[in-house]
Amino acid sequence: MRPGWPPAVFSPRRTISPTREGWWCLFVTIGLGVTAVNSGNNLLYLLVSLLLALIFVSGVLSEQTIRGVRITSLVPDEVFAGRPATVGATVVNDKRLPARSLVLETADGSRVIPVRWLPPGGDRVLAWEHEFPRRGRHRLPGLKVTTRFPFGLFVKSGRAQDPRDVVVYPAPVTSAAGRLSVSSTGDTVETRRRRGRGQELHDLRPYRDGDDPRLIHWRVSARTGVVTVREMEAGATADVRIVLRGTGTPGADRLERALGEAVALTLHFIGRGAAVSLAGPGVAVPPGRGRDHARLILEALALYEPGRPAAAATPEPARARDVVVDLD
Amino acid sequence: MPALAALRLAVYLTVAAGVAALHLGGLVGAVGIGLFGAALLLGWWLRDRRQETPGLLRALVIAIALVAGLDLLYFAESAFDGFVRLLVLLVLLRLFTARTPRALRDAGLLAFFMLVASTAVTFSLGFLFVFVAFVAAGVAMLILAQDLAEAERAGGETGVARAPGAGRGFVALGLAASAASLLVTLALFFVIPRVGEATLALRQPLRRMLIGFTDRVELGAIGELETDDTVAMRVEVGGGPPPAEAFAHLRWRGITLERFDGRAWTTERPRRVAFRRPTTGAFEVWPEPREGGVPLRQAVFLEPIGTDAVFAAPHAVRAWFRSVSALVDDSGAIAVPVPSARLQYTVESHVGAEPWGGPLGGGERSRYLQLPPLSPRFAALAQQVAGEAGTDAAAAAALVRYLSRPPFRYTLTLERATALDPLEEFVFVRRAGNCEYFAAALVVMLRTLGIPARMVNGFQRGEWNPYGGYFLVRMGDAHSWVEAHVDGRGWITLDPSPREPPDAGGGSARVSLWLDALRVRWYRYIVSWSRQDQVQVAAAIGRAALTSSPWRLPGLSWIPASGLVLPAMAVVAGVFGWLAWRRIGPLTRAGAPPVPRFYRRALRALARRGLRPAPEETAREFARRVAQTAPALGGPLARVTEAYEAVRFGAAILDGRGAAEVDGALRVLASGAVRGNGAATGA
Repeated sequence: MRPGWPPAVFSPRRTISPTREGWWCLFVTIGLGVTAVNSGNNLLYLLVSLLLALIFVSGVLSEQTIRGVRITSLVPDEVFAGRPATVGATVVNDKRLPARSLVLETADGSRVIPVRWLPPGGDRVLAWEHEFPRRGRHRLPGLKVTTRFPFGLFVKSGRAQDPRDVVVYPAPVTSAAGRLSVSSTGDTVETRRRRGRGQELHDLRPYRDGDDPRLIHWRVSARTGVVTVREMEAGATADVRIVLRGTGTPGADRLERALGEAVALTLHFIGRGAAVSLAGPGVAVPPGRGRDHARLILEALALYEPGRPAAAATPEPARARDVVVDLD
Repeated sequence: MPALAALRLAVYLTVAAGVAALHLGGLVGAVGIGLFGAALLLGWWLRDRRQETPGLLRALVIAIALVAGLDLLYFAESAFDGFVRLLVLLVLLRLFTARTPRALRDAGLLAFFMLVASTAVTFSLGFLFVFVAFVAAGVAMLILAQDLAEAERAGGETGVARAPGAGRGFVALGLAASAASLLVTLALFFVIPRVGEATLALRQPLRRMLIGFTDRVELGAIGELETDDTVAMRVEVGGGPPPAEAFAHLRWRGITLERFDGRAWTTERPRRVAFRRPTTGAFEVWPEPREGGVPLRQAVFLEPIGTDAVFAAPHAVRAWFRSVSALVDDSGAIAVPVPSARLQYTVESHVGAEPWGGPLGGGERSRYLQLPPLSPRFAALAQQVAGEAGTDAAAAAALVRYLSRPPFRYTLTLERATALDPLEEFVFVRRAGNCEYFAAALVVMLRTLGIPARMVNGFQRGEWNPYGGYFLVRMGDAHSWVEAHVDGRGWITLDPSPREPPDAGGGSARVSLWLDALRVRWYRYIVSWSRQDQVQVAAAIGRAALTSSPWRLPGLSWIPASGLVLPAMAVVAGVFGWLAWRRIGPLTRAGAPPVPRFYRRALRALARRGLRPAPEETAREFARRVAQTAPALGGPLARVTEAYEAVRFGAAILDGRGAAEVDGALRVLASGAVRGNGAATGA
């Protein structure tokens, strides 16, 4: 079946399933209906009509409460194996009527969080901790909103969001701290407080022609009425290349530990403003700075598979020092 | 009110409505109601005090099982009664042992079966009030239980205890949901297809056989009925209240009695004919043509009284019953053997068509001239009153005048003063009695003159109910009058009783009439609603749709009806399209969340400077173009664009710092601060 088929318009926007009480309601309705037909007793017809009316009103009111409720899942930018990550969702009520008795559920039912009341236009941030035991690509189940409002006879569910892929980075191994101050060449890592293109704020000054507009500090500019730019400190360290040595095949524990060390090193040097690159078997990330670049390296480490053939030698950046991590 | 207390109250009201329904059906007596009420009060008082143990619960269940078993085996009149009492006990047990919202709600749900049970034994108007109360309390109970279940789900018992109370919002929601449920219930009730005629409750209690409407009627029996104020029947007549002058003496004829033994009247009905329902559905109860008179179609709703007589205006010609057969005797009295078929029927009569019926044969004549051994004073008095009357009609009129004037007077107080026969004492001594004595005296005196006559028992016209558009006939309207066969031509109606007309007493209170009108509608449109009614309503709607033009307002009369077809179709298509869009819309829009307001503000600010994004241009491309053409604006726009992408496509939420930065960038874009610094070069 080709993707996108059948069209979304033919798939139900809502799913409805009876609760225990709902099943009883349906059975009693059918039983009373049969009795009413056989007996011709109009008061039985009246009671059957009442049960059907309750089902109908339940459907209308539950639709009213679930309509206009929007879920936005929240996943942290960085998730490390073995460490609790705060995931969650924002539930927004976009309609002009309040939403009652909502329940935010994961599609696999592993997480159920009630939201009893959401005012018109209101939102609620729901968060919980989720721990991924191992690095790699994981799939977070999609979220959906359900309700048993108003009578608790039926559970009406909105369409579940698509599952979301999360790349879980190896947990940083702090024992790598010993390496953090000494490079493979024996040089110490120094910090120098001078202006440059680092991450730390050095000073503020008025805007001058030629300044990078991205350095404008908008909040200060708005407060003072003078366009002000940020001066950053220079990079703290020399550039670093993290080299993965070996194949990682002899032992999984050793491999995971080594990858954790590489993560710790990456975070450390990126935090110091260094340009960091990664090289290893089947892995090559060019040098770069900043948190986004760190995530590229962390993702490469998260998805590393042992036994990859050695990659072609990557050009060593100028002034870069190698920090070697043994995988075997 | 705390939510849990409100739930308990709603459950108690729901259960109370269920017990009231059982009481309506006679399944729970006054003592039972009292005991149940006391149990409810006790349960409410003990709600936070009892600490039942599993052992106590087990003992209660065993006790109830024993009581129910013994009741079913030895005490209950039927298994149905036994099961109803078992249901009551189970509801009580559930109420007493319920400690969670769910258990409380289950007690209320069980009460629904009390209503189900009562439908087998009652269809009174009280059921309507009980039903409405049950829906209101039951809907509130369900909503509260659901709310508390969510609270329990979120926080266990603590969540239940901390649940917000039931305030105005909840009351409004409960009332709206109840009203909606009732409206939908009514709509569904009328459209659910019926497969046959409506039936009555399985065990509808019938009243005692009415002593005035059986084959043997003791003198004075009708007088007993005349003190009874309960409703006997209601009669709708077509076209609203009939003109008083035409129907001043309208009566509802029931049975005729021709044999008198001095103390009681009887009938033998020697010429009773059974009619089977023809294919047209109308019983032609008097196949001979009626001359003159005013046609009057009556829809009769008879209370379940114990007589097979059919009451209708005199000179009935055809009738519609929900029965396969009907019995008609030679006097025109109609009877239907099936009790349920008598509760609602329609008769068409020719009121005032007199005299009617042909000449009597020898056997018939002797039957209507029968007399018991009587004092010769009756014949002498009749001769004296009739005097020189040349015709039977004139003699009959003279007798009626004699009896209806003083010293004769109407009274319901019948005290014997002599040892004479009752009728002789009435005519010659007491000269006071009820309509039955007057009618009996007239029949006897007519027969002594050789004029065939018979007694007729039925009802006076009754009180007109303007709220329901029908005559309200009470037991007290029971009446006796006379039919005499005069001059060999036919039967005429004579009423010698000086009884006051039905409206003389001033009528009933408005509330009483309104309630009675409601009762009639309940019977007509709920209890008796049938497939035939559905077909008639559907046909009427169809006819109305075909024949009427309600949309043709005076100013639009130039529009032909056919010219409205296309606009009507367009409206229908528009409605369907709108519904489809509402259904499909969220799907197609799901991938494109709305543009954040701050980005729209940025676009407006740039538009004032002549910078607008091209249709095919992305936000980032637009930001780059702005940075090239107006470098001072590039920075602010880059920040705004970054936030825009994060919010709209990354589902991010701006924190305080981010929002402040965006706000600062917007101010720069809008206020021209950069221009003030001489840095802006944008157009």
